[in-house]
Amino acid sequence: MINFALLQTYSGYLISGAVVALEIAAIALIIGIVGGTLLALAQLYGNVLLRIMGHIYITIIRGTPMLVQMITLFYLFPLIGIIMSPFWSAVVAIGLNSIAYVSQIVRAGILSVGIGQIEAAQTLGFSPWQIIRLIILPQAFRAIFPALGNESVMLIKDSSLASVIGVAELTHQGSVIMSITFDALTVYAGVALMYLVMTSAVSLVLHLVEQRLSYVKN
Amino acid sequence: MLKIKNIIKIIKDRIIVNNLSLNIEYGEIAVLLGSSGVGKSTLLRILNNLETINNGIVELDGKRLDLKQVSKSHTIGMVFQHFNLFEHLTVEQNITLALQMVANKTKKEAHEIATALLKRYELADKADAMISQLSGGQKQRLAIARTLALKPKIVCLDEPTSALDPLLTNYVAENIAELAAQKYIVLVTTHDTSLLEKLPCTIHLMRNGSIVESAKSTDFFANKQNYPLIAAFVKGNH
Repeated sequence: MINFALLQTYSGYLISGAVVALEIAAIALIIGIVGGTLLALAQLYGNVLLRIMGHIYITIIRGTPMLVQMITLFYLFPLIGIIMSPFWSAVVAIGLNSIAYVSQIVRAGILSVGIGQIEAAQTLGFSPWQIIRLIILPQAFRAIFPALGNESVMLIKDSSLASVIGVAELTHQGSVIMSITFDALTVYAGVALMYLVMTSAVSLVLHLVEQRLSYVKN
Repeated sequence: MLKIKNIIKIIKDRIIVNNLSLNIEYGEIAVLLGSSGVGKSTLLRILNNLETINNGIVELDGKRLDLKQVSKSHTIGMVFQHFNLFEHLTVEQNITLALQMVANKTKKEAHEIATALLKRYELADKADAMISQLSGGQKQRLAIARTLALKPKIVCLDEPTSALDPLLTNYVAENIAELAAQKYIVLVTTHDTSLLEKLPCTIHLMRNGSIVESAKSTDFFANKQNYPLIAAFVKGNH
């Protein structure tokens, strides 16, 4: 059965792995939100070329496994002269993947903002960019906040894929401990529990923030 | 004086506004009366650069208005049927945002203008409230305040009573009359004939994109037989 003493012994390894997992997820989420917002704007308001490029990007990213994308990038970057550590390779791969998914979330959020809001802003003299920045995006982000929260939880779990390119994140640390102790059940139960704690904590924080973002101030 | 001359608007081979001309003085309320789809709201949208025109010109004080610039110059303001207030902002921010970002007022100046307007429209105690916390009447007053903050010369109100409790019609009429008293050029669209009885205005009955009959509201209610088309519309609505 589960050997709690073993988990206690190796808790330092697991915690350091969990911190790396959170770092990967957090940076990838920032890349995803910034890139995804720009991609959504390009798809909605950009010219034909931008829209086609965006569509191709999303099709490729959504149509191939993230694991394959990560390994491909890891071996592709050095060939084109970009030398990155496994950590940054994983962050970039997961971030690029997140851009495609977040762009679709942001796109839906932008489309959910009523045309009346945009027309009101136009009659008040706001420029198109001001309308996007001050009227559309703040309302869109409130609408999509739960979906973005879901994406951040997904990214924490996706960070486990970084173990295949040697990043010392939580799953990788689990593999190392398992190779020392040969107690797969205990180690992976401990790893799973740590992912559960991280995703639950993030979900709770996001839920609290979502409540604060509510339009009605009580 | 606002002069609207020979405006034509065609959408998909359908004439929405048909060679419409109209003059309105400062301090005058022009009510465009008619059923849904006769082109009343389209005319207001044209004036606010929300629709392009196929033909016609608009002049203010003898000078041709570039309709593409009306929102930037804040010459014309619009109070929408459903108010279109910014739901993510507070009541005060709905007024101050355009003042700061478009009219380049400082935060302090914008706050002072907003405070005065909110006081005038009995919303001072709601300055920090969110839009969802306002009643329909309060939303409309805020929409008017937001429009007036930018000091337009012309104020357009699209169907001002349709989204409100009928009991509020008197109150809406008072607010519109106050705009005229402040010498704004006021354009109102409505199919609500009860508003006409409460509002000293010039009635312009529209059909198929054109004005088919016009009358001062006082003249109309004194001699309805002289204005058979408006009388028939009013009778049909009662």
